[in-house]
Amino acid sequence: MIHLENVSKVYPNGTKALNGISLDINDGEFVFIVGPSGAGKSTFLKVLICEERASSGTVSVNGFDLMDIKKRKIPYLRRTMGIVFQDFRLIDKMNVFDNAAFAMRVIGAPEKDIRSRVNEVLALVGLEGKEKSRPSELSGGEQQRVSLARALVNKPGMLIADEPTGNIDPEMSFEIMKMLTDINKSGTTVIIVTHEHDLVKQFGGRVIWIEDGAVLHDAVIEPDESLNSDDAADDGAAESNDADKKEADAQ
Amino acid sequence: MKLSSTGYLVREGFRNIWANRMMSLASVIVLVSCLIITGSAALISVNVNSLIASIGDDDQITVYLLPDLSDTDSVKLESKLLAIDNIAGVHFRSRDDVLKDYKKTLGDDIYSAMQGDGNPFGNEYKVRLDDLSLYADTVAEIGKLPGIDSISDRSDIAGKLTKLNYFVTVVGMWVVLVLGAVTLFIISNTIRMTMYSRRFEISIMHSVGATNAFIRIPFVIEAMMIGLISGLISSCIVIAVYEPLRSAASGIIGMIGSSTLPVESISLPTLLLMSGAGILIGLLGGSISISRYLNKEGGAVIGR
Repeated sequence: MIHLENVSKVYPNGTKALNGISLDINDGEFVFIVGPSGAGKSTFLKVLICEERASSGTVSVNGFDLMDIKKRKIPYLRRTMGIVFQDFRLIDKMNVFDNAAFAMRVIGAPEKDIRSRVNEVLALVGLEGKEKSRPSELSGGEQQRVSLARALVNKPGMLIADEPTGNIDPEMSFEIMKMLTDINKSGTTVIIVTHEHDLVKQFGGRVIWIEDGAVLHDAVIEPDESLNSDDAADDGAAESNDADKKEADAQ
Repeated sequence: MKLSSTGYLVREGFRNIWANRMMSLASVIVLVSCLIITGSAALISVNVNSLIASIGDDDQITVYLLPDLSDTDSVKLESKLLAIDNIAGVHFRSRDDVLKDYKKTLGDDIYSAMQGDGNPFGNEYKVRLDDLSLYADTVAEIGKLPGIDSISDRSDIAGKLTKLNYFVTVVGMWVVLVLGAVTLFIISNTIRMTMYSRRFEISIMHSVGATNAFIRIPFVIEAMMIGLISGLISSCIVIAVYEPLRSAASGIIGMIGSSTLPVESISLPTLLLMSGAGILIGLLGGSISISRYLNKEGGAVIGR
């Protein structure tokens, strides 16, 4: 459960990244955070995981009051959530199993529990038989699945995915999004930060549009069934890629 | 931190040394050099102190009594001498004992002729002092006693020994302190560079909820192992070259051989102290740099 009330964030150099955001995200919701570059999406995420403290307002995440949380308690807040990054953040000197097990090892889980849980989660994300592979030997989609497995091994109540499909091909993007919706159906709150509007339309859910550090729209959209056939998924992904290229060219 | 993590963290510490082997090797080489110099300075200081102590033991004042002072009056002087401050002990030598010292030089005939009333020497006392720096004052006090003919004057040697002792102690202490600080700086920089090169891994640790204590432990173990390895290597080198150097020094100044410490008595303390110093420097240097890194720049998770 996330509760933000009139939250602002001003960086020491004077940049105003968040400007009076108020919202609630309830347990089990499937939420997209969208908005242009520099809108404040990253700062919003940083405030949720307490990498940055809000300058004013009220922030409560999974029972932790983030305006008043002690530094030594922050790791315990982060154990209530799983985080998936655009660049996967895998450790290449570790194999797939150890990368996924890493999240359990750092919280001191017994080795026996690690073995059974990691194998279970790797099977869930479709990486059976790849346990001994190095991340560099995997495709982008497979690497993101390892990242997803690492985020899920500690059975978090909330999953935060920061541009999870940003570095993978369209077909794999669809697979990853499908996995995220399945994870949500099992009761986990899923928050996805993305700029891929086609995926948002395709899967639907609550969409929070952030611009200039404030919430511009907050609405639930239904999935566009016409985009959910395999061909449509490919077409949609191709369009999304074209849009990305145009955006990159424009920049 | 849970007990189940201990094995993992220790393994990680050792794995880090191997994973960063070039950096570890560079640190060990620099630390070994510093520890050899530090250890040598400490050993030189200890040996000079031992030398001074042995010279100090031999450095007794000889109090010559008047030749015509009776044996009874001579013996009575012992309690008066012991009553003076700074006198640690006295040893009476009769005029016959003194004459015996010259037996070889005089030859049997002359020696026999000088026996009894023909003995020109008076009785004497060998006096040991507590503090050589008070030599002059003590000699002045002894001179005030009746029946004293003369007192051996070695105030020059006493002064020099006191100064040397002070110099060696102060210089040795500064060398150990300065080089200790240098080694601390080196190891803390090495660990800082190691942490910086692994900042990506540290950010992942933070993202999955690792505490700073958990992140710190493998790095501290790595630093302590580098310190221990350096301590062991440097102490072995110091012990290996100690005896040849001591023999060479004895060849130049004879008394060094008998007055300095043999290799058997310095080996174990050197090994333990230098290894301990290496571990301690590793622990301190590692902890300082890790805390600074985690508090200042190592907290990023999303980081853009």
